[in-house]
Amino acid sequence: MTEQPHVLIDGVEMVYAGAGGSLRALEGIELAVRRGEFVSIIGPSGCGKSTLLRLVGGLLEPTAGRVLIDGRPPRRAQREKQIGFVFQDPSLLPWRNVIENVRLPLQLSRRGNGGAPAPDPGALVDLVGLREFSRYYPHQLSGGMQQRVALARCLVTAPSLLLMDEPFGALDEITRSAMRYELLRLWGSEAAGGGCTALFVTHSVTEAVLLSDRVAVLTPRPGRVAAVLDVDLPRPRSETMELEPDFLDHVRRLRGLLRERAPV
Amino acid sequence: MSLEAAREREWAAEPTGAPAAAGGRRTAWARRAAGHVLPAAAGPALALAAWEAWVRLDHVKPYLVPAPSRVAERLYADPWFFFAEGLKTLEGAALGFAAGASIAVLLAAVMSQARFLERSIFPLAILVKVTPIVAIAPLLTIWFGFGLMPKVFIAALIVFFPIMVNALIGFRSVNPNALALFESLAAGRAEVFFRLRLPSSLPYLFAAFRFSVPLSVIGAVVAEWFSGDRGLGSVIYIANNNLDMATAFAGIFTLALLGVALFLVTTAAERKVLFWHESNWDVR
Repeated sequence: MTEQPHVLIDGVEMVYAGAGGSLRALEGIELAVRRGEFVSIIGPSGCGKSTLLRLVGGLLEPTAGRVLIDGRPPRRAQREKQIGFVFQDPSLLPWRNVIENVRLPLQLSRRGNGGAPAPDPGALVDLVGLREFSRYYPHQLSGGMQQRVALARCLVTAPSLLLMDEPFGALDEITRSAMRYELLRLWGSEAAGGGCTALFVTHSVTEAVLLSDRVAVLTPRPGRVAAVLDVDLPRPRSETMELEPDFLDHVRRLRGLLRERAPV
Repeated sequence: MSLEAAREREWAAEPTGAPAAAGGRRTAWARRAAGHVLPAAAGPALALAAWEAWVRLDHVKPYLVPAPSRVAERLYADPWFFFAEGLKTLEGAALGFAAGASIAVLLAAVMSQARFLERSIFPLAILVKVTPIVAIAPLLTIWFGFGLMPKVFIAALIVFFPIMVNALIGFRSVNPNALALFESLAAGRAEVFFRLRLPSSLPYLFAAFRFSVPLSVIGAVVAEWFSGDRGLGSVIYIANNNLDMATAFAGIFTLALLGVALFLVTTAAERKVLFWHESNWDVR
């Protein structure tokens, strides 16, 4: 018996009807993600990566095909608070301090929150290293700290599926590199639910190889899955690994795939 | 480990707007007084001095323009009279503002829920807006008689439109990713409204309050001219008819004071409520 995929993207097509004619953003997308797998989606800007993530999260409805999470529509997963979203901007509520921002998902649509006990917001703030800052407001924090708060917030419902839309795209290179390992640490930690499934949109080749079990390469206009690269590197991944031939070989292959299959 | 190092560095960076040390508060007050109050008071003081000099040197007739000293005398002779009449005006303005603002925010909230609601309500609001208020003021005397009601009505009418327009823009000006986050957590309409749209609209609402609070006083005074038995509007009106310029100007001065007080209260409330908004950060 084959295991049911956690996320199934089945023949998904997305056409935006606009004033200047319709735009075919995605076409014939097929992707199955196993439970606990970390999959990155990479491609040039404008290839429909964000659209694909929003379709999986149930924020958009595909014009053809279907998305299934545990064999059911994404709306169902939303109601059970199975989905944790992180965007490129932290999108914190500026009138709430750190701990109140992290608590927000627990306060919304409480009817649906039956089942698994949620992690303690305070413990999550500790986990992302912001214990001293839990009473601070977003405008008092640096960009990296704000994105840590967004990470803690998305984990507070103990989601089984993490959807991340270039979460480190707006950060400087140094903070960004630290945040990648921070994410891997959180993703594996018990307090955060331990090994949920992750879909990660990025346009950084190194980031995709470092984080993922598999990387899906998307072509632009219309977006299609051109290739899927398996990343056979042991976990936990460390910073020293980034210089090893095995790692660099993966980076080279992914670059090659991007050049051949998804020319800008 | 460089991860730790990176975190250290992030922590070391001093957060902007960290709570100020309590010790510096007293000197900060003195500096504020010197930096803000003195320059603000210098202009009016000079103007009053020039006015006094002009009236005295040019022998202007007191029934045309009174000297500031005569106005001060009039105020000093009977301060409680002007205070009590000022309270009457304030009562009408405040009640009118509360009523007008409540209806405006409520209608904007309804309109923010669907475009077709906006299309059906907005034209009515415009109709209310373009009707000259001075034209209906005399009618209100016929309908409501003298006293509080006409004041409340006109003040409410005058503040209604600007507050409604700003509230509507505010309810719509929501961070799209925050909205997506709420949706991904299956938040309902009411949750989106109270936890996201309403707080997001506060900067716009306070911008509207800043000028509609003084407007509500104007509305109350206009009503008092036509149908007031009490209040600074009728004091000024009656004093004008009697060519009692000292009393008229004392009334005007009290009104100005009332306006300044209300402006300060609005600004203080805004700083308190909107501490998180960039409009209230000190420019460095």
